[in-house]
Amino acid sequence: MTQRISKSKRFYMMNPIIQFFKFIWLSIKIMLVVAGGHGGTRKANN
Amino acid sequence: MSKIVILGAGISGHVAAAHLRRKLSKEHEVLVVSPNSNYQWIPSNIWVGIGRMKSDQILFPLAPLYKKKNISFKQALVTTFHPEGDAETKSAYVKIKYVTGEEKGKIENITYDYLINATGPKLAFDMTEGLNPGTNKAYSVCTYSHAEHAWHALDDLIQQMKQGKKAKILIGTGHAKSTCQGAAFEYILNVEQELRRHNVRDQAEVIWIANEFQLGDFGMDGVLLSYGDNIMKSSEMVEMVFEDRGIKWILGAGVNKIEDGIAHYETLDGEYKSETYDFAMLIPAFSGHGFKAFDKNNEDITEKLFKGFMLVDADYTAKPYEEWSVQDWPETYQNPSYKNIFAPGIAFAPPHAISKPRVSKNGTSISPAPPRTGMPSGITAKLVADNIIDTINGKKGLHHKGSLGNMGAACIASAGYGMTKGSGVSITTYPIVPDYNKYPDTQGRKLGKTFGEIGLAGHWLKLALHYAFIYKAKMKPFWWLIPE
Ligand SMILES: Cc1cc2nc3c(=O)[nH]c(=O)nc-3n(C[C@H](O)[C@H](O)[C@H](O)COP(=O)(O)OP(=O)(O)OC[C@H]3O[C@@H](n4cnc5c(N)ncnc54)[C@H](O)[C@@H]3O)c2cc1C
Repeated sequence: MTQRISKSKRFYMMNPIIQFFKFIWLSIKIMLVVAGGHGGTRKANN
Repeated sequence: MSKIVILGAGISGHVAAAHLRRKLSKEHEVLVVSPNSNYQWIPSNIWVGIGRMKSDQILFPLAPLYKKKNISFKQALVTTFHPEGDAETKSAYVKIKYVTGEEKGKIENITYDYLINATGPKLAFDMTEGLNPGTNKAYSVCTYSHAEHAWHALDDLIQQMKQGKKAKILIGTGHAKSTCQGAAFEYILNVEQELRRHNVRDQAEVIWIANEFQLGDFGMDGVLLSYGDNIMKSSEMVEMVFEDRGIKWILGAGVNKIEDGIAHYETLDGEYKSETYDFAMLIPAFSGHGFKAFDKNNEDITEKLFKGFMLVDADYTAKPYEEWSVQDWPETYQNPSYKNIFAPGIAFAPPHAISKPRVSKNGTSISPAPPRTGMPSGITAKLVADNIIDTINGKKGLHHKGSLGNMGAACIASAGYGMTKGSGVSITTYPIVPDYNKYPDTQGRKLGKTFGEIGLAGHWLKLALHYAFIYKAKMKPFWWLIPE
């Protein structure tokens, strides 16, 4: 095993309080990508 | 009055049925034909495969729900397509064969005004010699019963490891043209975490084997994504996670034969190699179901409907990778020969792969087939339903469009289960099929909308989606507010 994720980064990744805010941020960001709509590509590459 | 027949009750078939029923008045009939009595939320099979969820947490029976919602349901398999009818049955129909109960084996012709083929893929284990879930120590997590079976075998191995056994675990793709690398990626990370939870991690060698040229290809040619303040390739992100977890990898491997505890494969260099294992989970090739179609004179017209999967409004002209274009991808999922037939989700034939095709020195094609994950399956099903509703209501043309080249996808890959110890790799991609003209400097994707995150929040999100999508699938109050 090679430690590729630093201790501070790991703390950030697994800390429930930080991650709670990350959860909200991620949910919003994903909603924006998903709800950002979809469409065709053929007319004027819209 | 119109009759809409939906073949398949997976993500796309069920989404289409639910939206059609909600938006169409009672005079129109919505009929679902599917062989499985249950709806299953396939993404959570990963957790069934590590024993952290029971299969009854990811499924529910369809018949009572459909009865309540006034959706007709026949537990049967479609066998042949007759889009012009024939001498006996004047209108378009499909032939179905019942699979259960007193009617088991009975054949019936089901007529339709509109047909939605949402039969997904055939899990083509037979394309790899010896690959058959539950035999030769190789398993699958593609269905809940496969996943349960996989967990029993893994649990057994963990118990042996607790007694001191050293074990090799092999997870990845079981065919040179497999897709769905994402599911195998989730499973290997979940298995690795479970080994740590059971304090047997040191006794296990965990190996990723895949037909990908690079880690993190996922059948999408990889993605360039923002990760915090950095811009990273998905290959670098996956490499970081694998190295950190002590997972080894074998790439460019076309698995072609499975024997008891041995996977034989060919590499892109043309070498024939093998890897031994004590437990393997290998995703099979996905193929079309091999359906046949006939015209009104009973002449075979299969090539008008199928090219493996169902033909839709894609550009199927054969061309080299360099000439592939995002415009090749379908927008409405309508069959060009029979305008009342549609194929959303995995059921449509893609125009070509997304990942660069690669051939071994022996001429074997070893590269991922294009994935079609749950989100695009749901979105394409909904837009097909909306176009059918518009047509029934007299609107001309198909106005709802959704090319994979103009659609984002979120892939929340579970990297371990647990409210405090869990983890997820959340990746969003926009668009799914890279548009190199629009985003020439960022490998065809829009940065900002293509990002990655790793951590506990990813696990919570995946779990939240599990509950949200099962709520939605059960058509509970305001289910339609939850996006596909
Ligand atoms: C283990 C695993 C994990 C996954 N995880 C994720 C994830 O985290 N996120 C994500 O977005 N996607 C994920 N996916 C992909 C996702 O499950 C698929 O994209 C999705 O299920 C495709 O939906 P579909 O309706 O097109 O096909 P399916 O879900 O395969 O449904 C096909 C339906 O057709 C029925 N059928 C088959 N043959 C016939 C026939 N002859 N007649 C009538 N009906 C028939 C089947 O019984 C089934 O009901 C995962 C897939 C797997 C295997």
